[in-house]
Amino acid sequence: MRNHFLDWILIIAAALIVFSLALTPATAQGQPAGATKQGPRILLPKAGPPPPRLPDGRVDLGNGKGAWSPVVIKDLTGHGYGDTNIQNAGKRGPQLVEKPVDIQMLPWAQKFFDVADGNLSKDDPEGFCLPPGIPRMQATPFPFQIYQLPDRLIFVYEGGAHMWRIVYTDGRAHSKDATDYPTYLGEGIGHWDGDTMVVDNVGFNDKTWLDAAGHPHTEKLHVVERYTRTSVNNLHYEATIDDPGTYTKPWTTSWNIVWEPGITPLEYICQEGNRDIQHLVGK
Amino acid sequence: MKAKLVGLMAVLLLLAAAPVFAHHSFAAEYDSTKPVTLKGTVVKFDWVNPHSRLYMEVKDQATGKTVQWELETGNVTTLQRRGWRRDTLKPGDAIIVTGFRAKDGANLAAASTVSTADGKRLFAGSANDGGPNSQQ
Repeated sequence: MRNHFLDWILIIAAALIVFSLALTPATAQGQPAGATKQGPRILLPKAGPPPPRLPDGRVDLGNGKGAWSPVVIKDLTGHGYGDTNIQNAGKRGPQLVEKPVDIQMLPWAQKFFDVADGNLSKDDPEGFCLPPGIPRMQATPFPFQIYQLPDRLIFVYEGGAHMWRIVYTDGRAHSKDATDYPTYLGEGIGHWDGDTMVVDNVGFNDKTWLDAAGHPHTEKLHVVERYTRTSVNNLHYEATIDDPGTYTKPWTTSWNIVWEPGITPLEYICQEGNRDIQHLVGK
Repeated sequence: MKAKLVGLMAVLLLLAAAPVFAHHSFAAEYDSTKPVTLKGTVVKFDWVNPHSRLYMEVKDQATGKTVQWELETGNVTTLQRRGWRRDTLKPGDAIIVTGFRAKDGANLAAASTVSTADGKRLFAGSANDGGPNSQQ
């Protein structure tokens, strides 16, 4: 009898351990709100003490004392497209943006999106190890750090793959030729709006998708990002997508990114062994 | 009772380790309606990005022939943060792998869990594929 009792204690303990392991990432990311199996889900801002400040009075965006740890967001509009995980394959799955936004695509873009959705995002450039672009770098699940120098921010990303980005904050304007030399991450110029770092980005190439769902963009893409460290543990991230070559009007999406003390980006070279390509068959 | 415990753990781990793919679309490559359990021995474990690859030999019970399977696991940084090492699995190790079969019919699957002969169970990393916090 006693042995059976101990066995059941063991079973219950094992179950608790396994479930806690399963739930750890979700709880580490803040408290999911309105979570249902297939329904919308957002991550509430993770609470904590007020954000630390640097000697110059600016909010400390991290500076290597840990890392921001974003989650994957498949559809930046929040409508659940492109969710190809095992539970939601082919369905409209949970999203982690704060509020779904209705957008209208130009006819070519709608057609592009429908094809991407129809073949389960098999042609997503990120699957080919190409960089995610902006704002998708912040919706790709690899830790990143932000270092603040007096005249610039340096973003160090583990993912996308193993990239960096320099955002000047010295008051300069965009380079006159920024759009002549389009790149994956574009050219970001930053300034403070109170405690919010605003980064204005142009000069993108059109080789990325905005998200795994397949929202496209052109080289006319202009992204305004707003980074607000609302607590020690939380970075509120907002991006406004303005691309008159793709969307009828600008649209804004936002989500929260959790702080992980002690984490540092590791090396991730996606190109090393990407053997998936030959097996990506779509439907 | 031990069997019950092992069974329960296996089921719970399977539930816990449902893959969420970030680097590429899961559904474009794997079939969520075709779970597979493979029992065999390790041939090779490639510690590479964007997904580490496990190669194993599985004996077909019906024909007696040995078949090689390729298992996709998580990326190196995810596995590293979960305590895996590049020599966690060695050639010849007896393992049981659960996962989901590739759509194209190849002997390929996305691994969910890997169990070793000493009873150790490892998340394959694909639950958080692409990063340590890629859950949805």
